[in-house]
Amino acid sequence: MLLTTVVFVPLIGAILVLFAGGRGDRPEREPLVRYLALAVSLVEFVLTLWLWSRFDPASSGFQFVEQRAWLPQFGISYHLGLDGISLFLVVLTGFLTPLSLLTSWEAIHTNQKLFSFFLLALETAMLGVFVSLDLFLFYIFWDAVLIPMYFLIGIWGYDRRIYAAVKFILYTMVGSILMLIAIIGLAYAHASTAGTPSFDLLDLYGTVLPWGLEKWFFLAFTLAFIIKVPLFPFHTWLPDAHVEAPTGGSVILAGVMLKMGTYGLLRFSFPLFPNAAHVYAPWLAILAVIGIIYGALVAMVQPDLKKLVAYSSVSHLGFVVLGLCVMNVNGIEGAVYQMLNHGVSTGGLFIIVGMLSDRRHTRLIAEFGGLKGVMPMLARVFLLVTLSSIALPGMNGFIGEFLILLGAWRANPRIASVAAIGVILSAVYMLWMFQRVNYGTVDNEKNRRLPDLSAREWAMMVPTVALAIFMGILPGIFLRPMEPSVMKILDVMHGTSTAAAVIRKPVTAPPPAPPPVETLAAREAR
Amino acid sequence: MNTMAATIPIVIVVLSAIAAMLAEAFRHPGERMPIAGLGLIGLVGAAVASCFLWNTDATSFGVVRADNFSLFINIILCIIGILTMVFSNDVVEREDLPPGEYYALTLFGISGMMLMAAATDLLVIFLALEVLSLSVYVLTALRRSSVAGAEAAFKYFLLGAFSSAFFLYGIAFAFTIAGSTRLDAVATAVASGPSTTLALLAVGLLAVGFAFKVSAVPFHMWTPDAYEGAPTIVTAFMSTGVKAAAFGAFVRVFLSTLQPLQGQWIPVLAVVSAATMIVGTVVGVLQSNIKRMLAYSSIAHAGYLLLGIVSANSAGKAAVLFYLLAYAVANIGALGIVALLGTAEHQHDQLRDFAGLWKTRPGLAALMTVFLLSLGGFPPTAGFIGKWYIFSAAVQEGHYTLAIIGVLSSVVSVFYYLRIVVMMYMTEDTGVAARPVVSVPSMAGLWAAMIVTFYLGVLPTRVIDYALQSIQTIL
Repeated sequence: MLLTTVVFVPLIGAILVLFAGGRGDRPEREPLVRYLALAVSLVEFVLTLWLWSRFDPASSGFQFVEQRAWLPQFGISYHLGLDGISLFLVVLTGFLTPLSLLTSWEAIHTNQKLFSFFLLALETAMLGVFVSLDLFLFYIFWDAVLIPMYFLIGIWGYDRRIYAAVKFILYTMVGSILMLIAIIGLAYAHASTAGTPSFDLLDLYGTVLPWGLEKWFFLAFTLAFIIKVPLFPFHTWLPDAHVEAPTGGSVILAGVMLKMGTYGLLRFSFPLFPNAAHVYAPWLAILAVIGIIYGALVAMVQPDLKKLVAYSSVSHLGFVVLGLCVMNVNGIEGAVYQMLNHGVSTGGLFIIVGMLSDRRHTRLIAEFGGLKGVMPMLARVFLLVTLSSIALPGMNGFIGEFLILLGAWRANPRIASVAAIGVILSAVYMLWMFQRVNYGTVDNEKNRRLPDLSAREWAMMVPTVALAIFMGILPGIFLRPMEPSVMKILDVMHGTSTAAAVIRKPVTAPPPAPPPVETLAAREAR
Repeated sequence: MNTMAATIPIVIVVLSAIAAMLAEAFRHPGERMPIAGLGLIGLVGAAVASCFLWNTDATSFGVVRADNFSLFINIILCIIGILTMVFSNDVVEREDLPPGEYYALTLFGISGMMLMAAATDLLVIFLALEVLSLSVYVLTALRRSSVAGAEAAFKYFLLGAFSSAFFLYGIAFAFTIAGSTRLDAVATAVASGPSTTLALLAVGLLAVGFAFKVSAVPFHMWTPDAYEGAPTIVTAFMSTGVKAAAFGAFVRVFLSTLQPLQGQWIPVLAVVSAATMIVGTVVGVLQSNIKRMLAYSSIAHAGYLLLGIVSANSAGKAAVLFYLLAYAVANIGALGIVALLGTAEHQHDQLRDFAGLWKTRPGLAALMTVFLLSLGGFPPTAGFIGKWYIFSAAVQEGHYTLAIIGVLSSVVSVFYYLRIVVMMYMTEDTGVAARPVVSVPSMAGLWAAMIVTFYLGVLPTRVIDYALQSIQTIL
């Protein structure tokens, strides 16, 4: 019951919020709605932390497993479970939802009730995606995620919100609906060997498929996931959705929803179809590297802060996919770690962009400049989040990117070298953006009297920055529970053979030193 | 008495129709009479009778069979009928429809639909088809002042008459090979004899007749005009009821009686199904009138249902039943809302009429959204389970291409369902004419439909079990 509780508490909260808001648009009930929604999301965060505290880090299996018959005629059950990979994504979801509500505290004026409802309902759907062990159940949550997000973008977004919302939902649906066919096909392919169809992930692992089917199933699953990631060249929905979404929506979209794609690759595509994965992973890796470089280059020339962060996501998620595609323990651990990092640092960036946008009602870099003198605290927090995003050693991003590049090097040094360019580029576009916004003189009169961080904003930024630093200094706390699950999933990917010898991971922060790339080169030389 | 047992639900509905007619006869001009209540009593009675008949497999006169299959369809029809009656009570007066005729014709139509699903003789199927068709033709033109209604009814009638002729011609060929119009006799003749030209002609002509009624491409031309021209409440009724009845008979005839010839008809119906899904969704995108849009959507749904028939396995048959229920509840809900917001002067059926509905009528907007999401096949609604069931039936038979066409067309259909949602939630209300108040019973009906939609979407096991029991007699 524990996981069910964790998954559905936000939905129950959402319904409570709906009732608390009364009929119609009642501005006088807004504070009640806000605090209630925030309370629910905080309770939920505590619940996810409680899961973590009860999680056995030494076990590689699924924990807190619940299984109940649901559609027994078709081998479908309500099957939930948590392992070291999904654990942290669940915690991340719990962490980002209150932030998302807080960042919308003053930005959302119309119908706060419905906004909170959709955001909390979205949380349930996302948590469901991460803990489902039945493909049918997984698909339901996967598709259910789209609806609240569609409303969040479409109702509370910026000018081109309707276009962005419709593009978002149709684009992602095309991919996922083909996956539905593949899921059904897989279940009945299982029936042809085992007698009865099954949608249970654990039954389906190890199903031997004819190559013709395996290839197409893999491609259908992977298409759904790489659209969600989004991997180049399927990323075109992302800038629209991000730019038009309200800040709270962007935080969730970048922080959690993109990870659903990479999580899907890791949990479903690769282990379910290992032969096809081995054949196609190099191609995915190449797309990932193109995405890393392309996303970084495009981010560099964006005049709009939000678009810049959106394209930086394309680049960062490229790293994650690269880490998955190399299929060794460093790469995958790095990829999972980088998913969390990206959630924290990009979530933080979007929150900061939201703060600037709330103050000035514009997100154009050219409109800002010299903010360091006007809002010193905001500029400091901004700097820390920026550094975390560009993977400065000592910050969280470094651990993830380092592990990914290490894994990629072991698989193919050339790809790793090209990807490493992305690390430099990310420093270029992020720091350049930071400089244009915060340094220099205050050219724009409107910027002269902006208020610094409010208490609410401190409440958002302190945990974010603290977590970014904490994850950079003590990665072992996160990597240790992950490792058995990663090893196990690697076993499934590589057949029954045990994964290659484990490379010792840096458990404490590596010495803070020259720019990331050089560190990497030095490490490789050893 | 036992010989009558199978006809009891039908008889009850007919009695309530007669009562409605009599009530109209005794009504003083200008007097309001709760005729809808009479219909409700009849329909609830028919539903209860159907439940009692469950698993009895009663047969009357050798031509009407109350097997679980027809009873399942009866229940769907009763749900459709009950919702129609509840909404009609609000709408009929406002739309200036003559109440006596309206209720009597609707109820007679439902009795024809029930008979069509239960008939085991081609001629009785034809008879039932005519009963329901004639009712629906008249209902389409019931608003006498409406030119569009008259035109729609005329088109519908002419094309419907053609299709009836095709159907009858098919029956004649079937009679030639079997010497009887009983389905079991036809089945024996078809199974024993080689697939002669006569048999193929019979199959082809019957298929054309059914394709007209379920509005499958290329026999769908009447649908948009008829649905647009008819009073909205009639559109809601016929887009669900006629489809349920026609698909019931379609499944019974093709998947049971003509099963031996499936090698011949499956490829043809596969093409028809694909074309229906594609045309229904692609053309639907271009519509700005909601009734027309939902007409194309109903064409697309006919395509999915045909996919269930093409799969020709037990999953396909059960899936058709489940899908009919899911579709009926959602579609009558959506069109019911359009009807409840319309008046004689202002139909409230243009896309822009829905602008900002969320601000003034949050409840209706939410209900409409749920019904549209169900039609679009989003979890956790009935529509998703229905689509999933149909597609899994197709995949089991290896119809991957059709399944892929199906899912992709359903994505396209999501686009136009979302256009309504965009209007309701994301567009400002620009002075649409005042929307009438929706009465408490109608609201309750809509809420019930929404609860059923979610129930079927979250806990479908029990209903799927019933559907699987229902197809036992037509294996």
